[in-house]
Amino acid sequence: MNIKKLGKLVLPYLVWMSVLVGLPLLMMVVLTFLKSNALDLGTAEFSFDSWRILFSDVTVRIALKNSFVNGIIATIICFVIGYPIAYIVANSNFSNKLIILVLTIIPMWSNSLLRNNAIANILSERSIVNDVLSNIGLNFIWPIRGVVYESGFSPAVVIGLVLTYLPFMILPIYTVLEKIDKSLLEASMDLGSNKIKTFFKVTFPLSIKGVTTGIIMVFLPSFSGFAIPKILGSGSLVFIGTLIDSRFMNRNYNFGSLLSLVILLIIFGSMALIFKVDKEGETLI
Amino acid sequence: MSKKLIELRNVTKTYDDITVVDNISLYINENEFITLLGPSGCGKTTTLRMIGGFEKPDSGEIILNGVVVNELPPYERPINTVFQRYALFPHLNVFDNIAFGLKNQKVPKQEIAERVETALKLVSLPNFGARKVANLSGGQQQRIAIARAIVNRPKILLLDEPLAALDLKLRQNMQYELKEMQRKLGITFIYVTHDQEEALTMSDTIVVMRDGLIQQIGTPTGIYNEPRNRFVARFIGESNILEGTYVRQNVVSFMGVEFDCVDIGFADGEKVDVVIRPEDLDLIDPVGAKLVGVVSSSIFKGVHFELCVIVQEKEFVIHTYENKNVGQAVGLRVDSYEIHLMKVEN
Amino acid sequence: MSTRVLTLSRKIVLFFRKPKVEKTLKVAGAVLKWVFFVFIIFLLYLPIFIIALQSFNNSQLMYDFTTFTFKWYGMIFQERSLSQSIINSLVIAVTATIISTVLGTVFAIGIHSLTKKKRQKMVLLNQVPILNADIVTGISLMLVFKLLMYIFPDIFGFTTMLLAHIFFCLPYVVLSILPKLSELDENLYDAALDLYCKPTTGILKVIIPSISSGIFTGMLMAFTMSIDDFVISYFNTGQGFDNVSIWIYASIGRQMSPAVYAYNTAFSFLMILVLVIISVKGSLKKRKNLLKFKQNKI
Repeated sequence: MNIKKLGKLVLPYLVWMSVLVGLPLLMMVVLTFLKSNALDLGTAEFSFDSWRILFSDVTVRIALKNSFVNGIIATIICFVIGYPIAYIVANSNFSNKLIILVLTIIPMWSNSLLRNNAIANILSERSIVNDVLSNIGLNFIWPIRGVVYESGFSPAVVIGLVLTYLPFMILPIYTVLEKIDKSLLEASMDLGSNKIKTFFKVTFPLSIKGVTTGIIMVFLPSFSGFAIPKILGSGSLVFIGTLIDSRFMNRNYNFGSLLSLVILLIIFGSMALIFKVDKEGETLI
Repeated sequence: MSKKLIELRNVTKTYDDITVVDNISLYINENEFITLLGPSGCGKTTTLRMIGGFEKPDSGEIILNGVVVNELPPYERPINTVFQRYALFPHLNVFDNIAFGLKNQKVPKQEIAERVETALKLVSLPNFGARKVANLSGGQQQRIAIARAIVNRPKILLLDEPLAALDLKLRQNMQYELKEMQRKLGITFIYVTHDQEEALTMSDTIVVMRDGLIQQIGTPTGIYNEPRNRFVARFIGESNILEGTYVRQNVVSFMGVEFDCVDIGFADGEKVDVVIRPEDLDLIDPVGAKLVGVVSSSIFKGVHFELCVIVQEKEFVIHTYENKNVGQAVGLRVDSYEIHLMKVEN
Repeated sequence: MSTRVLTLSRKIVLFFRKPKVEKTLKVAGAVLKWVFFVFIIFLLYLPIFIIALQSFNNSQLMYDFTTFTFKWYGMIFQERSLSQSIINSLVIAVTATIISTVLGTVFAIGIHSLTKKKRQKMVLLNQVPILNADIVTGISLMLVFKLLMYIFPDIFGFTTMLLAHIFFCLPYVVLSILPKLSELDENLYDAALDLYCKPTTGILKVIIPSISSGIFTGMLMAFTMSIDDFVISYFNTGQGFDNVSIWIYASIGRQMSPAVYAYNTAFSFLMILVLVIISVKGSLKKRKNLLKFKQNKI
C-alpha cells in the first residue's frame, strides 16, 4: 500500500488515545498525593493519607483478598472449561462461525446484570426454577447465594463470574487454535508422537498466546468488578471494585485513584505479557 | 528513428538510510520492450514503482514526453501496471475489474462494454466477464490483470514480475504471448524480472541492475556476448570466469597459456577477467591441447551434456553433445572470437 | 511384586488396545465430548431462559411462577423510567456503533499503513481500552470529562456516555479490521490509483469493499459491547441519563418491574432474528453465485 500517505490517518486516534489514556493516569497519580473534595483544587492540600490507608486499612486487605481469591478461582474454572470448548469448536465439522457466535456474542445481547440476577434467583432458597419444576414433581434447591467462606471464596459469585466471562476465554483460544496449520499436527504424528503427545508438544504451546489473552480478559474484570459481587454476594462481599466505587461516590477521589492505580499496575503487567506473546493483537478478537 | 518516451535522470531513492536506487539514468523509446533485470533487492521494482508514480524519487527527475512528472500521482499518468500478485479487486467480477479504470475516466457505458470485450478477446478469455475473480486459475487471473491494464490504452505498460507465480510451461507460453501483444498494441512495455531467460526471450533492451546501480544496458545478444563485468556474466547465462593478463594486442594469457583474442581496449600487461561460455568450449584430444583436464562429473540435460572438467585445480563447465566418462582426460579448445575480456572491478 | 504390577499394567494396556474396546472408547469419548459441549451451552443460556421465564410470569414475585402471560411485553413502554432507559441505551449503542465503525475503519487503514514497529506500538495502544478493567476505564474517562466541565458545564449525561462508548468500541472495530487488511494484496490500493482513482475514491471503491466482512464483525462487536456495558456508563452519566444497565443496577434488591425481563427477552430475540436474516441472505447470495459459476462453466 502507498505507505506513508495513509499513515497520517492514525494521528487523530493517537491524540484521542493520549488524552483519554495518558491524561487521566497523570491526574490519578497527582490525586493520590492530595486531600481534596472530588476535583476541587481550591481546597486541596498535599497529603499522604491515601497511601497510609492503603497499607494500614483492614478493609483494603480484605477487599484485595476477596478480589484475588474469587477472580483466580473463576479464571481457573474458565480456563478448564473454555480450553476444551474452544478445542472442540476448532476441530468440529460444523459452521464454526455460527457456534462461536452462539457461544460468545449472543449471550451478551442479554443484559449481564439481568443474567446475574437470574443466577441469583436460581441459587436462592426460593427460585422460579424450583417453583416450575416442583409442578412436575422435581425439586431443585441449591441456596448458596450469599455464602462466603472465610477465605473470601463465594461459590455463587464465582458461578456468576464464570458464566459472564467464559466467552472471553473461549474466543481468543479458539482464534489461535483455528489458525494452527493442520500439517504441523500431521508432521508431529509422522515424527512419532501420538495424539496426546502431539497436543502437549505442538498444539498447546502454539495456543499459549490465546490462553494468555483469555486468562487476562477473564481475570481483570472478575478481579475488578463490583456489580456481580453485589448481586450474588448479597452486598456483604467487598471487592476492590466495591471500594473504588464507594470512594468515588463519596467524592474521595484521592483514595479511589490510588486503588485504581493498584489495578492499573496489574493491568500493565498483563499488557506487557500480552505484548510479548501477541504483538499484532490477533487474539483479542 | 524511434522517439524517446520516458527518461530517468540521476534518480535516487532511499528507505530508512538504505539507498535502494542509486543515481540511475536511462531512457526508454516508444514501442520498446525493456526489461529491468536483477536479483531481488537490486532496486528494479522500486524503479518501476517510481515510473508508475507509486513512489517519489528523493532526487533526480522522471521525464515523460519532455515533461518532469515527479509530482504527478499515478491516476494522472498515462501509465498502467500489471502487479506482481495481480492485485485484482476481490469484490468485483471480471468485467467490473477490467472496466474499473474506464469507469473512473467516465467513458460511456456502451464503449466500456465494447472495450472490455475486446480486451478479454485479446487475452484469450472471451465471455469471462461474469466470473468471480476468486474462481479463476492463476494463469487466468494473470490475463485478467493484463486486460485490466491495457484496456485503458496506456502509453506505457509496467509489468512487475507478472509471470513469477505461474508454472514453467505456462510461463513460457505467456512470454511469447506478451511479446506478441506488445507488437500488436504498439505500447511500450517496461518489464521487471529476476529471470534472465525471460529477459533474453522477450526484451528489445535489457537493463541489468544490482544494489541500486545499473550494471549494463544493451540488447539481449549484446549483454549475453559482451557482459561488462563478472556480475553480468554470472547473472546472464552460465560462464567460466578466469583471471588473465592482456599480454599485447590480440594475445591474452590465462591458466599459464597464451591465447589469441579479438577484444581490444586494454593496456599491455593489464589484468583482465576472461569469460568463456560453456557452449564455446570444445573437447579435443588431450595430446597437443593448450588446456588439459579430467572430467569430474557429467549430467545429461536433455539436449546436451553438462560436463565438469578440472584443469589445474580450476573447474570448467562445458556444454557438449558427446558424453565423456568421469575420470577421462580431455583437451579443451576455444576460438579466439569466443574469448571475451572484461575490465577487472575493484 | 514389581513384575506382577508390570504384567498387570501390560494387561490393562493390551485390553485397551483391543480393536473392539478401542472403538467403544472412541465412541464413548465422542459422546462425552458433545454432552460436555451441550451442557456448557445450556449453562450459558440458562440465565437467559430464566429471564424469559420471568417475562412470561403473571406474578411479580421473582420466585413464584403463577400463570403464563404476555402482559409485561405490553408494559415495556408503559413504565416511564424503564422505557426512557431503553431508548437511551439504543440511541447510545446505535450512535456509538456508527461513529466508531466509520472512525475505526479509517484508523485501521492508517495503522495498517504504518511501518512494522510503529504499527505494533499503535496496536498496543489500541489494546488499552480492551484490556483495561472497566472500572479503571470508567473512572479515567470520568476524570477527563470532569476537567472538561470547566469549559462545558453540562457535559455529563448523553455526551459523556456517548464519548465513553466510542472510546471502548473503537478498539474492537480496529482489531476486527486489521487482519482483513493484512490479507489483502499489498498492491490493491496502488492498483486503484493506477486505474485513475483519487486517493479517497480508491479507499472507498476498493479497500472498504474488500474488508467489508471485518467492518461488519467490528460493527457487531461494537454494538454488543455498547448495549451490554454497565460499569463505564455508570461512571460517565449524569443528569439522570440512565441506560438499561444503570436502571437495573439501581433496582437490584428492590422489586424490579418484570417489564425489564420482557424487554430483555424481546431484544435478544429480535437481534437473533436480524442475524438469522442476514446470514440466510448471505448464504442465498453465495448459492446464487455458485449456480451462476456452474452455469458459466457449462
